[in-house]
Amino acid sequence: MSYEYLKFGKEEKDFIAKIEEISGQNIYSCYQCGKCSAGCAFSDKMDRSVSQLIHLIQIGQKEKVLKSNTHWVCSSCLTCTVRCPREIDVAALMEAVREYSLREDYEKVIISEISKEALDKLPNIALVSNFRKKTG
Amino acid sequence: MVQYSYFPGCNLKTNAKGFEETAIAVSKKLNAELVEMPNWNCCGTVHTLTSDNIMKRIAPIRVLSRSRKHIETLEESQNQVVTLCSMCNSTLKIVNNEVKKDQEILDKINYQLEEDEETYEPDMEVKHFLEILRDTIGYEKISEKVVNPLEGLKISPYYGCMLLHPEEAKIDDEEMPDVLESLVESLGAELVMSPLFKFCCGSYHIVDQEIIVSSQVEKIVEAAKQRGANALVLACPLCAYNIDQQQKAMAKNTAGKSPIPVFYFTQLMAIAMGEPVKINHFNDHFINPEPLLKELGLIGRKKAK
Repeated sequence: MSYEYLKFGKEEKDFIAKIEEISGQNIYSCYQCGKCSAGCAFSDKMDRSVSQLIHLIQIGQKEKVLKSNTHWVCSSCLTCTVRCPREIDVAALMEAVREYSLREDYEKVIISEISKEALDKLPNIALVSNFRKKTG
Repeated sequence: MVQYSYFPGCNLKTNAKGFEETAIAVSKKLNAELVEMPNWNCCGTVHTLTSDNIMKRIAPIRVLSRSRKHIETLEESQNQVVTLCSMCNSTLKIVNNEVKKDQEILDKINYQLEEDEETYEPDMEVKHFLEILRDTIGYEKISEKVVNPLEGLKISPYYGCMLLHPEEAKIDDEEMPDVLESLVESLGAELVMSPLFKFCCGSYHIVDQEIIVSSQVEKIVEAAKQRGANALVLACPLCAYNIDQQQKAMAKNTAGKSPIPVFYFTQLMAIAMGEPVKINHFNDHFINPEPLLKELGLIGRKKAK
């Protein structure tokens, strides 16, 4: 078994504080039961499960968190939020990670690259909600 | 006639015209008319989950403030704004709750609304039309109006996420809802229960990650079909688009798939209550429900004879 030494300095603590500020949640409320990951409709498409991502936030691993696809696969269906036994708004944590990354680099979806045909075909609510979630 | 201030939201005017027209038709029949509010704007479709972004909360409050003015012109109206789209319902409800609790946010939003000469006093209630049907009208009155019971339709209710989540916006129990079930039964259709009744369809990922949506839709439809359903009923124009359109796309790729049509709950009510078929706008559907309805003798019966 190999070990990885983790840094836990100012940068890590700042990251945790920012995620807590944006989401309004206490990240250390989570005791890693895994209920969010178990009920998530998208677990099979995530490279890290929701509870794993939360654990990485708890230990301030900003790079690993932002490199995951977890928060981008999350569609804010809020199943985790209504089921969390610690009453954490888990979806708000996912939103906070999205917002954190959008506030640095504001285009996850580049609107000008979407074809005119797709724009005509897709329902307005799909476009509006997509741009609200994936552009800063 | 009791009248309700009705907020349509964008999609009821584009992809989901059949949803709106059938809802208005049945609302008149049930003595609870939906009257469209003037001057409405998009509610924002998804509620922001951030705690520090007030910008994204202004649009729903503007809607509520205008609806409040609209109510003064209506008959026998309470302070209620009614929605059909489940995304609008959830967005409006959550922000309405927030400003009821937090005067500071309300003041900041009202300061922004001053430019439009609006201010919002948080005394409105947001209701989904399903809540009106269940709590105010009642299933008994609905079944009294049924002239064309939906015999032969085996319907699986699909709630999607936004009717049941989060706590502040849910219209029924989040794990064991029964509002769509009771409605389907009161229209004379057979009920098929599926465990994936609130398994997210992939929502807005349809814009840039279609593969997520197709995988979700496949699971949802398969679960319903395996249990014998020949149609789905739902209340969200985005779920409807995703499930309807993805089934068509899948049927092209994989042999042997038999897609099942998707209905808005008001379309089923309109058919059961004998409203004209054209208000359903079935030609906007990707999987046309008309062949199934004709096969079961639920529409076009006169022509057949």
